[in-house]
This record gives sequence, C-alpha cells and structure tokens, in this order.
Amino acid sequence: MSDTQDKQHGHVVETTKRKRSVKHKLTWLYDHVRNEWQIYLMLLPTVVWMILFLYKPMYGLQIAFKDYSIFRGVAASPWVGWEHFQTLFDNDQFIRAIGNTIKISALNLIFGFPAPIILALMFNEVLHAVYKRTAQTIVYLPHFISTVIIAGIVTTAFSPTAGVVNTIMGWFGLDSIYFLTRPEWFRPIFVGTGIWQEAGFGSIVFLAAIAGVNPSLYESAVVDGASRWQMMWKITIPSILPTIIIMLIIRIGNIMEVSFELIILLYQPATWSTADVVNTFVYRQGLQSGQYDVAAAAGLFNAVVAFVLVMTANTLSRRYSRTSLW
Amino acid sequence: MSNVLINKVVKSYGRLEVVHGIDLDIAPQEFVVLVGPSGCGKSTTLRMIAGLEEITDGTISIDDRVVNRVAPKDRDVAMVFQNYALYPHLNVADNIAFGLRIRKESKEHIAESVKEVGEILGLTPYLDRRPANLSGGQRQRVAMGRAIVRRPKVFLFDEPLSNLDAKLRTQMRAEIKRLHKRLGATSVYVTHDQVEAMTLADRIVVMNGGIIEQIGTPMELFMNPANTFVAGFIGSPPMNQLRGNVHKTADGTKVKVHDVLFDLPGSLAVEEGQEVVVGVRPEHMALTASADSFEIPISLDLVEPLGSEALLHASIGEEPIIIKAETHGDIAHLSGVSKVYAPASLVKVFDAKTGLAINEQASS
Repeated sequence: MSDTQDKQHGHVVETTKRKRSVKHKLTWLYDHVRNEWQIYLMLLPTVVWMILFLYKPMYGLQIAFKDYSIFRGVAASPWVGWEHFQTLFDNDQFIRAIGNTIKISALNLIFGFPAPIILALMFNEVLHAVYKRTAQTIVYLPHFISTVIIAGIVTTAFSPTAGVVNTIMGWFGLDSIYFLTRPEWFRPIFVGTGIWQEAGFGSIVFLAAIAGVNPSLYESAVVDGASRWQMMWKITIPSILPTIIIMLIIRIGNIMEVSFELIILLYQPATWSTADVVNTFVYRQGLQSGQYDVAAAAGLFNAVVAFVLVMTANTLSRRYSRTSLW
Repeated sequence: MSNVLINKVVKSYGRLEVVHGIDLDIAPQEFVVLVGPSGCGKSTTLRMIAGLEEITDGTISIDDRVVNRVAPKDRDVAMVFQNYALYPHLNVADNIAFGLRIRKESKEHIAESVKEVGEILGLTPYLDRRPANLSGGQRQRVAMGRAIVRRPKVFLFDEPLSNLDAKLRTQMRAEIKRLHKRLGATSVYVTHDQVEAMTLADRIVVMNGGIIEQIGTPMELFMNPANTFVAGFIGSPPMNQLRGNVHKTADGTKVKVHDVLFDLPGSLAVEEGQEVVVGVRPEHMALTASADSFEIPISLDLVEPLGSEALLHASIGEEPIIIKAETHGDIAHLSGVSKVYAPASLVKVFDAKTGLAINEQASS
C-alpha cells in the first residue's frame, strides 16, 4: 500500500472510531436519562434558568461592538468595532469609575474579607451556648434586611441633625458633619455598612469549616499544653485555610461587582468623585442616557477584567497553596 | 516514673452516670490495658486521667498528686488518639515538634529530640512529609512520636491501633511493646480488642457498664476469670459456658449438662441441684484422654480450619460448644470426632444467678 493509501485508510479508521465513540456516548446518555429521569427532571429548572438569564443575554453582548438602536434591533444594527471602548477610555468619568471600583473593592477586600473570618473565630471561642446563639442571630439579622432599608438606616444614622453618629460626636464637643455629602467619608461608610450587613452571614461558611476540624486535634493540643490563642493560630486557621482561599478566589471574581444597589441609594452628585463605580456608570449611561451600546461595552469590560482576575487568582492559588476552585 | 491512682472515680453526664466509682492502682512503669465492650467507660476513664473530662466524684492522682483540678498540660501526660490527631498542615517533623514548640523549648533541643524520635520510630526518611502522604502505620508512628518526644510521666493510648488492618496491627502492637520496654514509662492503654490486651498488658482491667469486672495479669484473667463476663470476653474463641445442675455422686461432685457429667476440680462450695454455669476453654479440650480428663460426647456440626489449628463447632444437647484442635496439616481426621476430653482441673464453675466464679474451698 502506498503512503497516500495508508493515510486515507488511517483517516477512514479514525473517522469510524470517532463516529462509534459519539454513537456510544449518545447511547450511554440516552440510557442514563431514561434510567435516571427523576434526577434530570430536578436539574431542568436550573438549566432553563441558566439558559434564559445567563446564556441568552450573552447574545446581547454584541451591541458593545455595534451602533445599536432599539428600533433597528441587535441584528440590523451596524458593526462599529472597538469604537465604544475608545469612547469609554476617552471618558474621564469612566476612568474615574474604574479607579473608584478598584479602590472600593480593595478596601472591601482588606477590611470586608477578613471580617467574617474574625467573627467566626470569635464565635468559635464563645463557650456559653445561649450567648453564642443570641450573638449569632444578632449579627446575621442585617443580611435579611432589604438594601433600601439598610440605606435608610445609614442615611438616618449619619444625618447631620438627628443622626446617632453626630449626636455622639456632639457629646464630645465635635462639630456635626454631613457625612453623606462628603466624598472622603463615602468609602469608609460604604465599606463599613457592607461589613455590618454581611460579615455575620458570611461567617456561616467559616463556622461550618471550623465545625469540620477534627476535635482530636484540639484535645491533642490541650494535652500538649496549647492555649486557646495558640490553638486558634496553629490549628483552626491552618485547618480552614482551604475554605478561606476558595472564598478569596470567589471574592476576587466579584471584585468589579461592588454593591451597586447600595451605592445608587447612598451616593449623590456631591460624592460621585469617590462613589461612582463602573456599574453605576453603566446604569447612568444605559438606562438614564439611553446609550445601551456604550453601557454594554463598559459592562463587557467589567466582566472580562473579573474573568481574568478570577482565573489568575485560581491559578496562583493552585500553584502555591494546592487549593483551587477548579 | 510515676504511679497513677484512681480512687472511687465517678463520671456523670447530667443525670447519666457512666463510670460508677472505680478504683485502680497503676504502678510506676506498668503497662495497664483497659479493655471492655463499647460504652463500658474505658475511654472516659482514660480521658479523665488525661484531664479531657472532668471527674464528677472521687480522685485521680499522678505521682501521688491529686490532679482533679490540674490542667491537662500540667499533668505531664501524653496521649495517642484513635484517629492519630495529626495536624494535616504540618509535616512529620513539625507534628512531632508541636508539643515542644508550644512549651517554648529551645530550637536545638527540638531539633535533637525530633531527630532522636525519628530514629527510634523509623521515621527519619519521612520527616518532611505531610500526614496525607503517609500510610496508616506511619501515621500511627508519628502519633506515638508526638507522645514520646516530651518524655511525659504517663502515656495514654486511646485505641491507637483500631484504624489499622490486621497485619499492620500485629506489627504495631509489637512496636508499642518494644517502645514500652525501651522507655519504661507508665502506660494506660484502652482497647476493645482482647488480643491487644493480652499481648501488651502487664495487667488487664476488664470493664463493663462503667464498673471494673476484674483486674489481673493476662494469664490470671485467662485461667481464672472472676465471672462469666470476663470468661466470655477474654480468650478467642471465648470460654464455652454450659448451663447445668450440680450432682453429688460417690465419685465426687459433678455438673450435669444435658446428659453429660462434667467432673469438677477439688471441692467447690456448691449444693446438690444448684444451677451453675460450667466453663471450659476451647483450647483446654483434647481429642485424646489424659490422666485427669473426663469424656464429653459431642455432636459435631462444623470444622473450621485455621491452619495449624481448627475450630470444631459442636453441641451437647442444645448447648453449643467450640473445641480448638490441632490439625497436624490435615483436617480429615477431625470430621468424625464424636467425643472430646477435658481435664477436670481446668473446668471453671460459675453461679448461674450471679455469674460469679465458684472457687475451690481452702482445705482445712
């Protein structure tokens, strides 16, 4: 047989094998669905939800590269390439929004991420069961309050006239401050509110991880003479480190997604210089100014940055700590 | 080395009393094994010695010092746990050094001690490995290394071999025994495995339902069990226990089990017609007669070959009985066995009501 014939024969064999393999997989899937149909039925709502709300909207992403008009529709709108991205990066407000997003996210990461871990470690040290349960309920509660009400509480608390913060400052002879109109106070208030609202609920994951630590490790350490402080540093924290890393990766993936609703509810033009983030910029451009294509470009940029960050964090974590999300 | 004295110790969880006032005196350098079925209170007792459980009543003394209110770290004990309790994020060397670091020993002393313990336990090649990369036996050795590195007064072992397979368990058992001989430390060992208890212990403490049933050397417990519980717990297979009634004949006092008369040793404090339990160990019966043996007709059901020995599952009337017989490399001759012989001197008698052993009366 010639070389050409050999190659042709090899190609036919390969194609036949592939066909067999695909047929085999389809047969297996058909049998599996038929035998385990109850499980697939339970899976169906989630799959439908993901298709409708996560994958189908991706079709709309193309408007970031088109001169979109709601009258022409997505398909009929002409392609404009990177024009909207050019517009965005020429816009000082967008650059400022990126800067604010990064700064707020960094503050959230520095102060907001360790807060639930510290809280979980503190709960773990509380021995009195009733006191522990009461304290946990109190710190979990803000999570279940609507963001609008949270914003209302914050606005009231920091009010220059009747706010509790200014009242306390008054006791010490300090002048009252209208915090929510001062750009330099926006970020601390926003990050602090986030911690107050979510640290308690976020601590549940870490409490669950702590509950999974083998009790013999502590007993062994007690016999060895370790104090509670030493046990926390040498046993609890290293034992929950994989959970901390996983949560950190997820957090980094959401770094561009600062709490959009709370910012919309708390910020005002006076504080835009420190409060305006990419999402609020997208909201104003898209819904208030009707520039859907520019807003889509900003949103896509946001998503790509988040994707790159989460991939990087996951890779670094897998390389250096042997823990990763996937 | 230190003694451990347990004096009328009671342990309760709320209203539930699980240890009912036990007394135990452990001599310096002694290896004492607490053995008993699950829930008998042996681990609780060990944990009370360690200080991991509070003592409800009574006292525990280590080295003649009552330690009821002494923190575990100040009792100078070391404990080896059933599931090893190794820190998964630390390597072998750091696991062994953990206790020394906590006690702020010097770096030189720690390095020297870890090296020495690594050599004693054959762990030197694995010192930089994490527990996840070790076999079960190696992990168990690391757990022991953590205990011995501090040179404590008392070693406490809480079922340390129960997670190992049978082969490794035999190997580790021998290592623990060698280690005890080398270090000569007072050791308290908890197990539910009577073979471990027999092979390791200087003295065995048999516990049941929160009380001590019997304390003695392995052979004392094997040869002279204090009651039917100990007789059934110590020995594998356990002692055959057959119900019968006392018959006083011209040939002496006997016990009638179904239609078989069992000879009894010496003079026992029993009455005519008294209901008793006769105990005969499977290994004390033979296929051939000897000087003081008597004949026991049996109905053979099954022969279980074990290699050099075989277990003959048989019955006397309705009463099941197991006989351990030598095979001499063949079990064909065992299938036709219809009678066995037991020496009267090795037959034990227990009161059927109390379960307590009826001992020979002292000759006047």
